[in-house]
Amino acid sequence: MKRRMNARVVVLETVVAPLYWIILAASVWILLRGHNEPGGGFIGGLVAVGATVLWGAARGPSSARHKLPFGDPVLLAAVGVLASAVSGIPAWFVGASYLTHQSFMLPLGFTELWVSTVMLFDAGVYLCVWGAVSGFGLGLLAIDDDAGDEGADAAAPRARATTKAARRARR
Amino acid sequence: MAGTHDHSSGGHGGAPGVALRGHAMGLASRAAFTLLPAAALALLLWALGAFELPQVWRTPWVPSLGIDLAFRLDGLSALMLLLITGVGTGVFIYAGGYLAGHPHQRRLYGALTAFMLAMIGCVTADDLFVLFLFWEMTSLTSFLLVGFNHHDQQSRKSAQQALLVTGSGGLAMFAGFVLLAQAFGTSSISAIIAAAPAAEATPALTAAVALVLVGAFTKSAQVPFHFWLPNAMAAPTPVSAYLHSATMVKLGVYLVARLDPAFGAWDWWQWTLQAVGALTAGWAMVLALRERDLKRILAWSTVATLGTLVLLVGLPGAGATAAVAALLLAHALYKAPLFFVAGNVDHEAGTRIIDRLGNLRRAMPWTATAALLAGLSMAGIPLTFGFVAKDAINSAKAAEQLLPLVQIGYGVFGAIAVAVAGVAAIRIFWSHRGMKELPKAHEAPIALVLPPLVLALAGVVLGAVPSIARPLVVAAAEAMWPIGTTGVAGALERPFDHVLEPSFDIASMVGMLAVTLVVGAVVYFFWDPLHRAFDRVAGRLDWLGSAAHYARILKAIPRSAAFFTRGLQHGRLPSYSVALLLAAAAFLGGAILVGGGLLGAGMFDGAFAGGGLALPAWTPPSVAITGACLLITLGALLAGVFEQRLAMILCAGIVGFGSALLFLFAGAPDVAFTQFTVETVFVIVAASVLLKLKRLGRTTSIRDPRNRPGALLAALAFATAATLVFLVTGADPIDPSLSAYFSERSVPDANGRNVVNVILVDFRALDTLGESTVVMLSFLATAPVLFSLRLARGSRGKEPKR
Repeated sequence: MKRRMNARVVVLETVVAPLYWIILAASVWILLRGHNEPGGGFIGGLVAVGATVLWGAARGPSSARHKLPFGDPVLLAAVGVLASAVSGIPAWFVGASYLTHQSFMLPLGFTELWVSTVMLFDAGVYLCVWGAVSGFGLGLLAIDDDAGDEGADAAAPRARATTKAARRARR
Repeated sequence: MAGTHDHSSGGHGGAPGVALRGHAMGLASRAAFTLLPAAALALLLWALGAFELPQVWRTPWVPSLGIDLAFRLDGLSALMLLLITGVGTGVFIYAGGYLAGHPHQRRLYGALTAFMLAMIGCVTADDLFVLFLFWEMTSLTSFLLVGFNHHDQQSRKSAQQALLVTGSGGLAMFAGFVLLAQAFGTSSISAIIAAAPAAEATPALTAAVALVLVGAFTKSAQVPFHFWLPNAMAAPTPVSAYLHSATMVKLGVYLVARLDPAFGAWDWWQWTLQAVGALTAGWAMVLALRERDLKRILAWSTVATLGTLVLLVGLPGAGATAAVAALLLAHALYKAPLFFVAGNVDHEAGTRIIDRLGNLRRAMPWTATAALLAGLSMAGIPLTFGFVAKDAINSAKAAEQLLPLVQIGYGVFGAIAVAVAGVAAIRIFWSHRGMKELPKAHEAPIALVLPPLVLALAGVVLGAVPSIARPLVVAAAEAMWPIGTTGVAGALERPFDHVLEPSFDIASMVGMLAVTLVVGAVVYFFWDPLHRAFDRVAGRLDWLGSAAHYARILKAIPRSAAFFTRGLQHGRLPSYSVALLLAAAAFLGGAILVGGGLLGAGMFDGAFAGGGLALPAWTPPSVAITGACLLITLGALLAGVFEQRLAMILCAGIVGFGSALLFLFAGAPDVAFTQFTVETVFVIVAASVLLKLKRLGRTTSIRDPRNRPGALLAALAFATAATLVFLVTGADPIDPSLSAYFSERSVPDANGRNVVNVILVDFRALDTLGESTVVMLSFLATAPVLFSLRLARGSRGKEPKR
């Protein structure tokens, strides 16, 4: 990790670690409340992007990339789209048309939990936005990183292998 | 099968190609592929015996557009199917021997199989769009097959040419199909054929038919689209024999014949078909004289035969339809063997150039026999099916008043066809003109000899006993008659007796035969001097030909594209923005002027009820909204003052937050929420990027502040137009039924109280899914750009260190 020392803002670098998780928690909360209150997958995803971009600005884009689930924005976005697409399939089993959302109450003993494919759909939107937009933002943030920098390439498929190796190397 | 294949590929281990990717195929896998056309042939023969024609099978496919997956088997389809499966069986066997041990033989078989299925679909489809689908599939598989030897540049070029010519013809045809389907209100071919004779020739219908004809002419290589077919001879021989002689190129003829009952009564339909067909028949035969390559000579004679077929379709009368059917069959039975023969000669003697070939009958006796039998049929010697076809053509012509062009075209065709048959069957096998420098030539293996022999023999057997082919030819001819025509059988009886038990109007028949044979023999004997003379003349005229035009167009397209791209996509973002703003302002302003009745008829009747612009009633805005608007205005004004891009971005951020506040107070918390988040992320990213650019020593202030007045003007123009639009749309009360519906159904239908979210994830979930995909794809598209930017920078940055 080469980073110019004058680019560092020590306060931000320190504060960003708790902040990152707080913002992510907030984004998940926004995602989950979205069906009934203002919020939802798109906004939640954007808030999560805020967390990632903040991390990228403070500690460098490739570090932020490694913090993403799957370590790769493309994969994250793809998983999101896939989750949304899959959420429409259960409708077929009850004879409804694709993407007719199915829901039921899941008994937990002490209470009941409302479960719906719509949650999976919205979570997919969330992941897709998180992956794609933060990939875009990190890509912009990374334009002064050296090209050969490990894991710095946003789209290369080798990203996962290299990220793991890199993570190990840094420890 | 895989095990057999692996085992026997070792048997071909001597082939040098084994080192390449792909495996040579074993006998078992070749046999398995060959089983397909053979089984289809057997099935077809059984079905023809077991069922009455026509047989129809249909199932809804795209009900919203009224398109059925409809198939119909009538006489014409049956005849084409017979060619496809019959010649196909021969081709599959032949390909096994021709490319034995070739590392990509499996690919060839795969493409050939796909092609065969496409052909079967094409000639049985009873829906225009189903037909089109299979038609395009034949074009695509043909592209793959012509370009089979894709390491050879000529091969690639020919494949591209075949695809471009037939593909653009296919597009024209598709447009024609759409018009046809609109004109008749159905895309069912049989329904259109039934309705067409009574239909009026409206301009739309005429255009539709003309476009369909363009598609058919490109596929069947009619003048002026004839040039692609001989070039497609870059394909391996089995492919040439199958696609470019026996089946695919006949699709155009098939389509024209299929539609002949519908439009055959139109004068211009007849004239066009006759003129184009005659021109192709004559000219292609003359072009055959230019060639020294046996396969290309055969290719040109195929083009000429296709021309004759089109010509015959253009002739009215029962005899002509019978002649079409007979010639379709006869041509497949003699031309496919001749192609096989050319392939054998190439395979065993190492060349197809007729000057270097001669006296091959001793080395290749069976090939020579097949060539002789097929050649006899091609020349139209009695007791061959070629003669039957020729007789049918002559009687059809005798029944009609012909254009002189048709007489000339067909005359040239008949004479040179005899000469070509002589070259292919006699010159290279029996004459001594060739060098004796082909000691290596020897007979081809059985897989290469059997198909041409069997097909050529079939031609002779059918010629000797025409009554075998009679039911099929009659059924095919009947299919080319308008549906519901009475007395078809009676009308056909006479010409068919004539066709199948040749008329013994000996004088005229022998006379015609003798004339053709004598002229043909003269051309044959003077082939070389004629070739030299014609090659000299034609060489000078090449630049006029359509092949030259094709090459010119091919060069002009990228050149003009580059010209327009340079002009429009210059890469300067400020100019793009100004163009975008001004264009939007012009269109919006123009729409308001036009819509307001100032320039024409009124569109926004509500807004302009009184003749002038009706503004919405003035309601004083709340303090919060006023504040938000002031914030937006402040941000916009400040952005116009600063020179540093960072400051401008922050100002743009103010505008964004101001609009978010506006949304919030106007009762759209979701939108406001999103807007806040977007603005935050945008400002963080943009500011970080600018800081980095600054650190890299790039300027971060705008380059040319002198342009600001112009930019201001553009912005003002757009703002004015946009404001006007909002005022106009605001004057009409917004129809609340949709939002009322969603608010009402949100909880009962989707268990969600947040209507915006419910619409996104439930009511319009498919749209959202599409948008998610777009978000991901747009990132995928930008990622390489960002990456290459970094690469370019990285390499530049490293240079000084060296």
